[in-house]
Amino acid sequence: MSDQEILRTTGLTMRFGGVTAVNNVNFSIDHEGELRCLLGPNGAGKSTFFKCLTGQLVPTEGTITFMGEPIAGMDTHEIVNLGIGIKTQVPNLFNGLSAYDNVRLAAKRKHLKRQAIEKTFDMLSNCGIENLKGSEVGLLSHGQRQLIELAMVLAAEPTLVLLDEPAAGMTGEERDRLAFLVKEVTKTASVIVVEHDMAFIKQIAKNVTVFHRGEIFAEDDVKKIMKNKSVQEIYLGKSADAA
Amino acid sequence: MEKSILKDPGLYVMVSIGLLIMIFLPIMMDMFAIMQITQYVVLSVYALSLAYIWGYGGILSFGQSCFFGLGAYTFAVASINMGSTSLPFILAIIIPALFGVLLGYFMFYGRLSDVYLGVVTLVVTLIFWKLINHTAGPQYAIGDARLGGFNGIPSIPILNMPTANGQMMDPIQMFVTFMAILIMVYVGLRLLIASEFGRVSISIRENEVRSSLLGYDVRRHKVVVFSIGCGIAGMSGAMWATYQTFIDPNAFSLEMSAKALVWVMAGGVGTLAGPIIAVVILQWISLKLGQLNIINNFVLLGLILVPLVLILPKGLLPTVKQWSQDLWTIWKKNKANEGDTIIKESETVNAGRRK
Repeated sequence: MSDQEILRTTGLTMRFGGVTAVNNVNFSIDHEGELRCLLGPNGAGKSTFFKCLTGQLVPTEGTITFMGEPIAGMDTHEIVNLGIGIKTQVPNLFNGLSAYDNVRLAAKRKHLKRQAIEKTFDMLSNCGIENLKGSEVGLLSHGQRQLIELAMVLAAEPTLVLLDEPAAGMTGEERDRLAFLVKEVTKTASVIVVEHDMAFIKQIAKNVTVFHRGEIFAEDDVKKIMKNKSVQEIYLGKSADAA
Repeated sequence: MEKSILKDPGLYVMVSIGLLIMIFLPIMMDMFAIMQITQYVVLSVYALSLAYIWGYGGILSFGQSCFFGLGAYTFAVASINMGSTSLPFILAIIIPALFGVLLGYFMFYGRLSDVYLGVVTLVVTLIFWKLINHTAGPQYAIGDARLGGFNGIPSIPILNMPTANGQMMDPIQMFVTFMAILIMVYVGLRLLIASEFGRVSISIRENEVRSSLLGYDVRRHKVVVFSIGCGIAGMSGAMWATYQTFIDPNAFSLEMSAKALVWVMAGGVGTLAGPIIAVVILQWISLKLGQLNIINNFVLLGLILVPLVLILPKGLLPTVKQWSQDLWTIWKKNKANEGDTIIKESETVNAGRRK
């Protein structure tokens, strides 16, 4: 593992007309294998922040550096080819194709034909979705689609993995598998997870960054964040105690 | 699993039908009929241009006639000025394709999609239509070619044989040449669609976000797909101009754009053979209705199209394919049941014997 800084945003701001969705965010992932959770209520700017990181939105102000290279304003495909992979909030899959074909398409971006096939089977088995390999993904449940998209993201072997609400729509068993998988991923990549599911966050996270109204509200160890009264009251409500 | 395009029997069936028509129709039919059919061939190439960008690139252009007209006028102006027709024919592909790159650049790099894309292409067509309509008068000339405003450009040279020096094609030669072009465009597009490039186009059509997240340059890809379609539309425009030896601003009209949409929709979006079949059927119906002179043929055509869309929402070819697949399954099931019955009967007979 290297100690090279993976990601840093400085003064990152994204405005839509009069609405400031992301406001002066200074955020960093300092070393390979770091796992960070982003927390915050709906509309806090988490997904917009992700979209800025992947070039789906061009930030109004501020800089983003990934592995020392400035990437703000770059096209999505260029950023992805540098090594950022994202599982979007609503899974973006090729609905007419099977799970196997979806993952193979992603694996082919990084590997030659035979290795791509091996990689595809590896990813399907790692994500516990081998049984779905022949199924048309458009017909599957949200949770299953999440796992397939995750397998696609991982098949391309990114350096930084962004997961936008990966546990949504998953059964308990699927969620446990996901938590295990995310931890596995941190052996080779850094991970940022946006999630609302507190039980899941407790399962995987060490450090948590809390977003509120487009700004970073708090950043600390997961246990301290859980105990932080203002975070609890404003963002987590009673679910934090319950979890 | 990927299936090689060269193993697809559909490709060979279509090419064989095309070659048979190309060779035997001139022997079997009189010259007037051949000239009529040449029209269908030209419009089929035009339909293919939209079938490709809409069906395989997900780009719904409401202004395909813009490139058809541009190709026709390019050919007319260039051939009148140059005297020969080979280079003008090539220019009629290149110029619309380049204009497609320019327009595509602004549309796709400006992140326009869906309805906005439709509106922009529609408006660009209308601008051309208006512009060319206002070019009456001797001051509007490019070299020796007067644009002629709403009167159009008459006396456009007929396509020369590329081999014999300057010899004009007779209607039969023109039919054979155009059929060869149609077959080449069809095969070329099939190969392109089956290539890596074509597969990426289809992935963009299916899910643009995921395609870019897989690292494909979606915008550049769309510009290329769009300009290929524009080049083909331009070529069909040149074929139209030389076939009619006349072109007027109606080449840019909404009617021309709408026709392409109707053919592709009726034939089946996502197929190439479907729109060709739709051109032949719908143009033939239009021709016959036009001869009847009882009711406006657009009204009648509309009355045919409404039920067509309701009954065959996927279009002609995909529906026929679906029906034949269903029939095949039913036939196989019946066959299997028959087999079962025979086995059961023989079992009963054998059991009876044992007793």
